[in-house]
Amino acid sequence: MEKAIERQRVLLEHLRPSSSSSHSFEGSLSASACLAGDSAAYQRTSLYGDDVVIVAAHRTALCKSKRGNFKDTYPDDLLAPVLRALIEKTNLDPSEVGDIVVGTVLAPGSQRASECRMSAFYAGFPETVAVRTVNRQCSSGLQAVADVAAAIKAGFYDIGIGAGLESMTTNPMAWEGSVNPAVKKFAQAQSCLLPMGVTSENVAHRFGVSRQEQDQAAVDSHRKAAAATAAGKFKDEIIPVQTKLVDPKTGDETPITVSVDDGIRPSTTLATLGKLKPVFKKDGTTTAGNSSQVSDGAGAVLLMKRSVATQKGLPVLGVFRWHVIGQLFRTFAAVGVDPAIMGVGPAVAIPAAVKAAGLELDDIDLFEINEAFASQFLYCRNKLGLDAEKVNVNGGAMAIGHPLGATGARCVATLLHEMKRRGKDCRFGVVSMCIGTGMGAAAVFERGDGVDELRNARKVEAQGYLSKDAR
Amino acid sequence: MPVFKAPFNGYSVKFSPFYESRLAVATAQNFGILGNGRIHVLELSPGGPGVTESIAFDTADAVYDVCWSESHDSVLIAAIGDGSVKIYDTALPPPSNPIRSFQEHAREVHSVDYNPTRRDSFVTASWDDTVKLWAMDRPASIRTFKEHAYCVYQAVWNPKHGDVFASASGDCTLRIWDVREPGSTMIIPAHDLEILSCDWNKYDDCVLATCSVDKTIKVWDVRSYRAPLAVLNGHGYAVRKVKFSPHRRNLIASCSYDMSVCLWDYMVEDALVGRYDHHTEFAVGIDMSVLVEGLMASTGWDELVYVWQQGMDPRAS
Repeated sequence: MEKAIERQRVLLEHLRPSSSSSHSFEGSLSASACLAGDSAAYQRTSLYGDDVVIVAAHRTALCKSKRGNFKDTYPDDLLAPVLRALIEKTNLDPSEVGDIVVGTVLAPGSQRASECRMSAFYAGFPETVAVRTVNRQCSSGLQAVADVAAAIKAGFYDIGIGAGLESMTTNPMAWEGSVNPAVKKFAQAQSCLLPMGVTSENVAHRFGVSRQEQDQAAVDSHRKAAAATAAGKFKDEIIPVQTKLVDPKTGDETPITVSVDDGIRPSTTLATLGKLKPVFKKDGTTTAGNSSQVSDGAGAVLLMKRSVATQKGLPVLGVFRWHVIGQLFRTFAAVGVDPAIMGVGPAVAIPAAVKAAGLELDDIDLFEINEAFASQFLYCRNKLGLDAEKVNVNGGAMAIGHPLGATGARCVATLLHEMKRRGKDCRFGVVSMCIGTGMGAAAVFERGDGVDELRNARKVEAQGYLSKDAR
Repeated sequence: MPVFKAPFNGYSVKFSPFYESRLAVATAQNFGILGNGRIHVLELSPGGPGVTESIAFDTADAVYDVCWSESHDSVLIAAIGDGSVKIYDTALPPPSNPIRSFQEHAREVHSVDYNPTRRDSFVTASWDDTVKLWAMDRPASIRTFKEHAYCVYQAVWNPKHGDVFASASGDCTLRIWDVREPGSTMIIPAHDLEILSCDWNKYDDCVLATCSVDKTIKVWDVRSYRAPLAVLNGHGYAVRKVKFSPHRRNLIASCSYDMSVCLWDYMVEDALVGRYDHHTEFAVGIDMSVLVEGLMASTGWDELVYVWQQGMDPRAS
């Protein structure tokens, strides 16, 4: 090391000689710590034709279950408009799509899979396009996107759709049949049966997240979501859905067009939330106000190989950062955590995905972390030391809603559209959520068009005068 | 104009005295501060523009300079940052190279120059304040010249007198040596700041040029060394290398930390006759071909090696 420092000193002397009698050197040059962060992995990214890129991402509005605008809408009627929108907005021939993967959680498996197939027909897809579902609880929508990206990478097809669908009005959370007595012998298996709210209380209790903080997070979520809606930020990603509302008493049907999330309460304050009683534990902190809403909705993301997008002249919205030759850019990470505190999932999954991408947390410009509960959301945000200005900038599930299977796809759409709005300074984004039964998932996305080359200037904590490569 | 992109930062470039389309490039990782080094031997394509690498040798430390042997057409000598001097034979495959490695300098070897008249020996200049004289077949250095008080940046043989060489040092002096004499024969306090390079005039054996951290190039006649013949101003930062043209007696080429390569005619009032801004980082290596009049090459920390004809744009394709 001394040799390197010595060489640096010799070179520096050439540029700023210390024993200078000439006045022209004074104040003209000085050595300073390099402000450009160590950019090794950051700079190494380059474009390849076989990158998996996202050319379109859309969602329906998310509405409160049982009482909101989608309460009388069939689930397949939620998915069809988004699938159709992907085709129409990109002028894609639907028969070119290799597969449609739909993340969906609560519905009975076979029926929901049939409903998705029907949905594809409504949307104008020919019989030759296959459809399947995937279930990894709350991350199903993101898992669907990751599965399609993986299949494109594997060469199964060139174009695919990763989507998410949930109608919690039609399929509320429930357990069918009896519970296997074997779980009594395995504490972690038993923890899988805990209601999600109880895991939230566990997180709040174990990691000391107060009621006040949780309520404040909910207020912020509503505020940001309301501001985003008012500013029209969701207009690009939301696909209007023509549906109906049925009056429960009279049976009259009213046609409506739903294009706004109806769960957002701009007037939410700490005072109004403070009145709510804890639901899952006596003297607990988790209330209906600081939990995600139970909602109906759908989202879909169109992925293809970059070479195909270029050929079709489609602008690239984002890149699912995948395998770059010579480096491991595997950037979908699903990790496992203790089921009793499943909410900590993102705190484990995000560092795993970011590291696999060869990046640092500091490199990520925008986060969408599902707000299943304020307790776990706050825990994860604080544990990772994330800048609150970069997380859920347009509100989160507490305001917008959490239709389980659709959330992943919804977050991808919101993230990519926000990154596009922010311009070339916003290069990397992360979508992450906790998963019931104790898992976490995270994916890293990169903006699709060029980045600002000068974006590099970032404060460096310790200056070792060495690139990461030299270590 | 041919351009070669090296994986590491360029440090020095030298045309082969035997083949007009061959040159060697010394490169170092991480700007020569830490890491490995590599020597590239490049061939210029005969027909169109283009330069290809014919062979490359990896080294454990930075390569600061390289020079071609005048006695064997495939041999080159490298000055390495770990203090070793290595001899490579391009006719042998990389695993058989280097054919010799001399580990005597205590610090970085910054330059190596082959004797063009005697053709049997070479000198190396090192940051351990010494200059060493070597022959290819001797196992150790023939002689060590220890007088400088700071890093010696370059030692260059006189093109006419086979026993005379000059050394440029960070102790701000230029020294002329005769290998038959016990000490230096002349000490010229050429600049107020470190002298980074020197070169002899190929047509007048008493004239040499020095370039310095003070951003100037000075041309000296050793017979009257109190004052320089000319002081060439124009570079914005320290001048890293200076080279006299093998074809025109008054033409000097220089490269600098200001990223430019300049051509000067020191006998003329307005000395700067050409300026090339093709490098985007420090320009640290420069050479002019002996076999092809007007052909020059430069390299810099931007990892690029340019070869072009004087008067043409190095970046033109």
